[in-house]
Parts: sequence; C-alpha cells; structure tokens
Amino acid sequence: MSSEQFNQISPSEFFYRNRDLAGFSTPTRSLYTSVREFVENSLDACDHSGTLPRVAMSITAEDAERNDPKQYTLKVSDNGPGMPAKNIPLAFGTVLYGSKFGLKQARGMFGLGATMAILYGQITTNRPVHVESSTDGQTLDVFDIRLDIQKNRPVIESRKTAKARGRGLSVSVRLEGDYSKAGSRIRDYVYQTSLITPYADIAFNDPKGQKFRYPRMTRDMPPAPTVIRPHPHGIDVETIRRMTAESNFDVPAMDDRMMERVARALKVGRDADAATVAARAEKKWKDLTRQVRVAASIAAVLGAGLEKLSKVRVEEIDASSNTLTYWDYGESKSATVRMEPDGPFYRQLAGTVQGETLSAFLTKRFQRVGPKTAASFAQFAGFKPEKRMGAMGSQDLVKLSESLQRYEDFVAPDPSCLAPLGAGPLEMGMRKFFEPDFLEVVQRPASAYSGFPFVVEMAIAYGGKIESSGIRVYRFANRIPLLYDEGSDVAVKVVNETDWPRYKVKGEPPLVIASHICSTRIPYKTAGKENVSDRRELEKELRLAVQFLARKLSAYMSRKGKAEAERKRADLYSKYMPLIAQFCAELAGKKEAPDVARILEGMPGGKAQG
Amino acid sequence: MARRKAEAGAGGRLDDYGGGPKKGAKAPAARRKPRQSARQKQEAMLKDLKAQGTRIFDDVGAGRFPQFSIPSRSVSNITYDEALRQYVLGGGASVRSSKNTSQLRSFTQLVWMAFFANRLTREKKSSTLRDVYYSSQAFQVEFDDQAESDNIIVDLEAVLSRPREDFQIFPEERSSIFGDLDIEYTIPGYEGKTMNLANHPDGYAIGPSLTTAELRGTSAEVVIAIEKGGLFTRFVEEQVDKKFKSIIINTGGQAPRSTRTLLKRLHDEMGLPVVILTDGDVYGEHIAMVIKSGSAAAAHLRELAVPDAKWVGVWATDIEKYDLPTIPMTEADIKRCHDLKKDPRYKKGIWKKELEVFLRIKRKAELEAFSKYGLTNITDKYLPHKLEVAKTL
Repeated sequence: MSSEQFNQISPSEFFYRNRDLAGFSTPTRSLYTSVREFVENSLDACDHSGTLPRVAMSITAEDAERNDPKQYTLKVSDNGPGMPAKNIPLAFGTVLYGSKFGLKQARGMFGLGATMAILYGQITTNRPVHVESSTDGQTLDVFDIRLDIQKNRPVIESRKTAKARGRGLSVSVRLEGDYSKAGSRIRDYVYQTSLITPYADIAFNDPKGQKFRYPRMTRDMPPAPTVIRPHPHGIDVETIRRMTAESNFDVPAMDDRMMERVARALKVGRDADAATVAARAEKKWKDLTRQVRVAASIAAVLGAGLEKLSKVRVEEIDASSNTLTYWDYGESKSATVRMEPDGPFYRQLAGTVQGETLSAFLTKRFQRVGPKTAASFAQFAGFKPEKRMGAMGSQDLVKLSESLQRYEDFVAPDPSCLAPLGAGPLEMGMRKFFEPDFLEVVQRPASAYSGFPFVVEMAIAYGGKIESSGIRVYRFANRIPLLYDEGSDVAVKVVNETDWPRYKVKGEPPLVIASHICSTRIPYKTAGKENVSDRRELEKELRLAVQFLARKLSAYMSRKGKAEAERKRADLYSKYMPLIAQFCAELAGKKEAPDVARILEGMPGGKAQG
Repeated sequence: MARRKAEAGAGGRLDDYGGGPKKGAKAPAARRKPRQSARQKQEAMLKDLKAQGTRIFDDVGAGRFPQFSIPSRSVSNITYDEALRQYVLGGGASVRSSKNTSQLRSFTQLVWMAFFANRLTREKKSSTLRDVYYSSQAFQVEFDDQAESDNIIVDLEAVLSRPREDFQIFPEERSSIFGDLDIEYTIPGYEGKTMNLANHPDGYAIGPSLTTAELRGTSAEVVIAIEKGGLFTRFVEEQVDKKFKSIIINTGGQAPRSTRTLLKRLHDEMGLPVVILTDGDVYGEHIAMVIKSGSAAAAHLRELAVPDAKWVGVWATDIEKYDLPTIPMTEADIKRCHDLKKDPRYKKGIWKKELEVFLRIKRKAELEAFSKYGLTNITDKYLPHKLEVAKTL
C-alpha cells in the first residue's frame, strides 16, 4: 500500500463511500430510509417548536410504466417552523450539519440521515434537492441545491423567493427506489408512526394512487424536551477531554477596546496606573467579568498602568514555574516576570490558564452535581477538589473518567430532557386504532442506563378490532416505529419471556402491545436503528411495565372468563338436562319426562343442590 | 343315555374336580339344570336399571342434581382377592354428578347408555361396541370417538356390576362350542326354540343368541376349553364329546368375553367342571389364567371368571416329560414370563412352578406337537391322562 492512499476525505466523501452503513444499500432500503429521515425531521421540527404537526408525504414515479427499481420523487412537507434562508444551503448541502447536537430526546440524530438521502438521490439521479421554506408564513424561500461531495459544500443551483401559503418546510428529492418492494414497509411505517404520534395529522399518497390519511386523534401534545447537561455516568474519556479543553479560558487580547472596558468597569481613567487598577479591582472583584479580572491581574503582576498594558501581548503564563512571559510592543522585545504565588491576581491568572477546578468543572458542566457531591466524588476518585482541570495529565483524565463511571452516589439522570408521549395520548391512539375491548396504558418512572435517562411507556389492548393471531408487539423508540429485526429486540424478548398463560392469556389471543422507549440515547444494537439491545436497566423497566399491564389484563380476563363460563354453563345445562330427563323417564318407566325447570332455574350458580 | 331335565344333579361332577362342595357321593351322570336362568338374570338387571332411572327421575323433578356412584377402576383401587381368586375393585368409588359442569356431558352419556341398554334388553336386540357408538348419534348424544363410548359402556358395567353381554352388547370375535347341550333361545323370533349343540360337527358359534339362551340340559360331565381351532376339529372327529362326556369349546386364542361368560354359566348353572388345554408356552398359560380369574381390566365384574377352572396342559413339565418337539422362546416370550412372575396369581401352585420351568428350559411347544406320536395320540393318551390329573388339582 502506498502512502498516497492515506488522504483525508470529507464527510460527504466518507458517507458516499459507506452509504450502506446509513441504510442506503439497495433501492428498496434507500427509499424506505429516505421516507423515514424526512418524516422524522418534520415531526422533530414541529415537536420542538410546539406545533401540532401536519405532515404530507408523497412518492411519485417519474415514469409509471417502467419496472422497479426506477426514479421516484419523494416529497415531504410540514407545517413546522421552517428554516431561515441563510441556513438552508448548509443544512441541505453539507453532511454533518444539523441542529440536534444538544442532549435531548429527538427522533433523529445530527440531521445526518436527511443529507444522506439527498446525497443518495444526487448520485442515483443527478438531480438537486428542491427545498421550499417559510419561517413567517409570508415569504417562501425556494432553493435547488447540490452537494459538492469532495469538498462537502453546498452548490446553490437556483434560488428565488415567492409568496408563501403558510409556514413550514417542504423538501423534495428525486432518487432511485423500488416501491413495489419497499411499499409495505413504508405503509407500515406511516401507520405505526401515526399510532405513536396521535397528535399529528399524516397523509401519504403512494405512487400507485392510493391515499392514506391518518387524521389527528388528539390535540394533547407532549411538552417539548429541554436541552440539558450530561450526566457523569454517561460520558467517556474523549468527552471529558473535550470538555476540559473548553474549560480553559483564553487570555483576552489587551487592545484598546479591552482597555476601555477595564476602565469603564473599574471606573478609572485610561491613564490609571497599576496601583490604582489593582486597588479598584480588588475592591470591586466580585462584580467584574472574568476578562476584566484577567486584565487587572496582568496589570498588577506587571506593575503596568492601562496605557502600558495596551502595548503588551501576553505570550505565556506558566503556573508551574510562576512566570509570565510577554511581548512589549513599545520596546519590541520579550520579557519574563516572576509572579508571587499569592493573592487574588495570581490565583486569577493561574486559574485562567489551568481552567476550572475539578469541583467547578463537575458542578458547572454536569447535571445534578452540587459542591457536596463534587467534594465527595473528588475524595472517592483521589483528586483534590481544587485541582485545576488544565493540570490534569492524560492518565489523570482516564482515572477521572473511570471514577465518574464507578461512583455510585450521583443522583439519577434528569429526565426533563425526555418527552414521553404520555399515557393519555397513547391511550387515545390505541383506542382509535384498535377499538379494543380492553385497554391499559402505563408510563414507568424515569430510569437510566449508563448515565442516559429513559422512560418506558407501554400499552396493552385486547379484543375489539384486533385479529386473533397471537401477541403482536409494536415497538417504538423516541416515537419512531421499529419495524424490522424484531427477533432480537429487548421489548420482544421481554414479551416472549412473559408467562402469558399465568395471566389467563392463551392460544392465539387478539392482543397488541405497544412499547415506547424514550431516551437521549436509545441503545440500538445496529446502525439500522431497528432493534434495541437488552440493557439490564431497560429490560427491568420493560418487564415491570409488561407485568403491570398483564396483571390488569388478567383481571379483565377473569371477569370476562367468569361471565363466559356462566353463559357456557347455562348453555350446557339447557342442552343436556332435557336429554337426561327424557332418558331417565323411559328408564324409570314413566310416560312423561320430569320438569327440568327447577334445575335450570338454579343456573348459573348451580347452587340448587345444598 | 337318558336325557335329564336336571334340577337334581347340579354340582355333582364338580366334586371330582375338587371345586364344588364335597358331598362325598358321586352324583349320577345326570342331565344338569341351570341354577339361575338367563331370564332371571335379565329381569334382575332390568330392575336395577329401572331403579337407577327412577332415582334420577325423582332427583330431576325435585330440582336436585342427579349423580352416579361409579366404582373406581384406577390401578390403586384394583386388588387381587385371594378368596374370590380374581382381581376385584376396592371400596373406592367416584361420584359423577350432573352438578359438575365438567362431568355433565359424561353423566348424560352414562344415562343414555343405561337408557340404551334398557332398550336393547327389552327389545332383545344385540349390539356391538361399534354399533353403540353409532347408535348414540340418533339421540343427540355425542361421543368424540368410539373409545369414549367404550369407556362409558365400561362405566355402566361397573355401576351395574354386570358384563355388557348382560345388556346385549357382544364382542365381534366368535369362538365355538360343540357337545351335548340343550339350549332354548330367548332372542326374538326364536323364543322357545330348542337346539342341541352336538348336531353340527363344525360346532356352533358363540354369539349373542347362544350367550343369552337358556341352558336346558346336558349329559356332559366336563367342559374342555381348547385354545386352537385345529385341535377343536380333531376333538370333534375323535368324538371326545362322547368318549369323555364333554362339551368342547374352542376359545380361539384369548377367550372372548362372551365365551368366558358361557364357560362361567356352564360351570355355575350346569355344575360342570372346566378344564383348559393350551399351547405349551407362557401365553397359553395366561389364556388359562384369564378364564380362571379374569383380567385386571375387568376387575369390576364377577361374571367373567371361572375360579374353579383347571389348566391341564400343555405344561412346561409336559414338554420334558413327553419329549415334545419345541421352539426356542423369543426375547419377548422371556420378558412376558418375568412380567407374569410379578402377578400375585403366579406366586403359587402349578402357575408358579410351570412359569419357572418355562424360564429354565427357555423352549415352548404347541398342542400339535403331540402329532409326533400320531394324529390321535393327543386324544387317546394325553387327554385321558390329563383329565385324571385335573381331578387331583
């Protein structure tokens, strides 16, 4: 292998070469994945802006006569917040651009999928993506955008504005697909999506002219999730390293604008000398911004007034040797001064270059960690709470990361970043879909695995319009239906392991279970996002949910069973007693059969005989 | 020889064979007469059926749930009774109540079976297990299969303590009988007609008409039951009936229930001793045992066993004594021997002794083996000797 092969490639190039990883391996799979990505983007956008979603999707064949696979135009429109015109080229013309980097529950991640669909469309049909967006309902921004794969850059082919007919975003992309094979998947997907999104209005026009419409079943919309800081259990060494880097502050440039800010903050003139600056700064320390503090500290250490300070560029502050090196523009030379390791100015400067203390790092950058927890964690991990993050070597970071995982006294993750559907809407959806004889819904309290909070919601429905074809499990994760690889999914595993006969469920019952897992990170087994792995905590919550619902179902079955048994019993007796009467009459040599009325009256209790 | 109408002599010959009461004096070779006639038995059973019907009738009319008490036929309730010399049911009984929803169906089936038995008996119609199964369909009584209907028939046998032949349900397999026996038919169309069973040299099939016939009289002094049709014909040809004053019955292997019933009647009603001749193997020994003491499957019945019957051969010891041509025993034969050794009935007497000899020599011989010494050797030499031996057993 020659070294030439080790060229850096752009993210677009990478995904172009590895498109099967992201679900674009075949025309069938690609069409299905594209539908998912666009529909999920639309629903996410509406959710986060608090809009009751209305999503219209259509797939039309470019040439209806041709055989699959062939070119289709996929168009997905929503009534969400739209996208500002200036963001559109980057959002639709760059891979790895998106608004979903924060830690909160969302259907998709990082906006990657939608651009992959666009990329796939472009390489199979050589057509740009067509985007129409309106953020205000008045103006409509219309774009045709291509992706420059090598450079990972958008190329705007056309751009115009028009009059909007309402707010929202509409994306159409032409791509090669196989609807005859992907059709049932896509219809299932739309059907199940509307079940788990009962507050959305979803329409789908398929290429064969069939129109599917799932009207909104409730206006009860779950509150939008909030973005939160990570939980200590949920991060790895690399994340800590990045967070540490963020905690190192820059030393601001000591330019004229900075000097003016310092003068204003300290209420001194631009000609104030070092002593005045230091004295004023010490007095007002608490009210000063970090940058002003840093400037004042440098003035104090160098013994420089503001005028001189503006001619200085700090080159290095070395906290280990307590020296400060700077470039003096006035004298055009570099100088080093020793810092006395004492006093607020020294601490400010040392802190600036070494970043936050461990204690501050933990309390400020993680959820649910207070000074007390931080102190006790520091002791557990063998660090001083005031240890500066900047002073941590790579071994220290590994030790810190491992300790964060092991320390058990952190409060459980904050579930406020989750947006479960809620028992009400879930029940509404199930009732409208299945019109069951029995329906029960449960929302488990929030739990967490590896620092990622999750909530399990589950519904069980029996009878009604449900076919007697055994237990069917509809699986959802973050309001996405999971349609395939059912066999290895944790929810299916839990349902299968449940001893149903114990709950009076036998044979091929007309039974539907909808399982919904909400989490900031769903532990998918594979990149295809179709099956959830059996994390212990997750499995436990699912099990508790199934057991709760099964107990309720069991009670219902008992009631139903009792009524049925009584009816059956009454039927049996009205069938057999007259026969018994007839036979025993002839046996006894009587002409007429005895009256069975008295025995039948005793039904259905059967208490006629003592 | 004078034909006897025979109240007097009943039981006489039994003395010679060690089974009956020892009266000391040898009874004259008299015509024997039955102790209880077929008609009397039938009437007693009809009375029983009517009592069951009346009980149910009264319960239903009074608003009570009728029920049957059925002697339990489970293994734990079956024991071997030394005094009766057959398997019997213990005191265990199960209640089949119409109050119990899960028993309602089988209760109804049992009432129907009693009803149907009553009709069969009154109308003197014979039937078979299979026939009964199909008959049920005319009365809206369902049986899933014949096995279910057969089971209900056995339930009724247990309730009435009577074999199903008593209520006109007969086996399909037939064995045959030959000898001087006067019978009087009771079946419709033949009522009052009599017949002597020595009139036809092929013998008479033991079917419903013979099983239900009144036994009127005989000059015979012994009943010889023989396992094989071939030997039966030989015995008729050699006039064993006349030479030994006997009635010859071909059991055709394991004796059918109607044949066992007839054997029992010949013994009980006519006072005739019964001797059994089988092949010299473990199966033959067991054929004899079933005639003598019934089977565990029929432990609820007392009408099918002839405890005084004697197995006279071919014994394992005969094989050595008469130097008979033999066949080696198979694995299955040997296993059967070991199984029977566990049976309490095989724990004493010739039963035990012969079984042990079979196991020792591991060979078996058929009745036909005597032909080695000439075709009539078995009737000329062996049979007379064995009939003498029987008296000592």
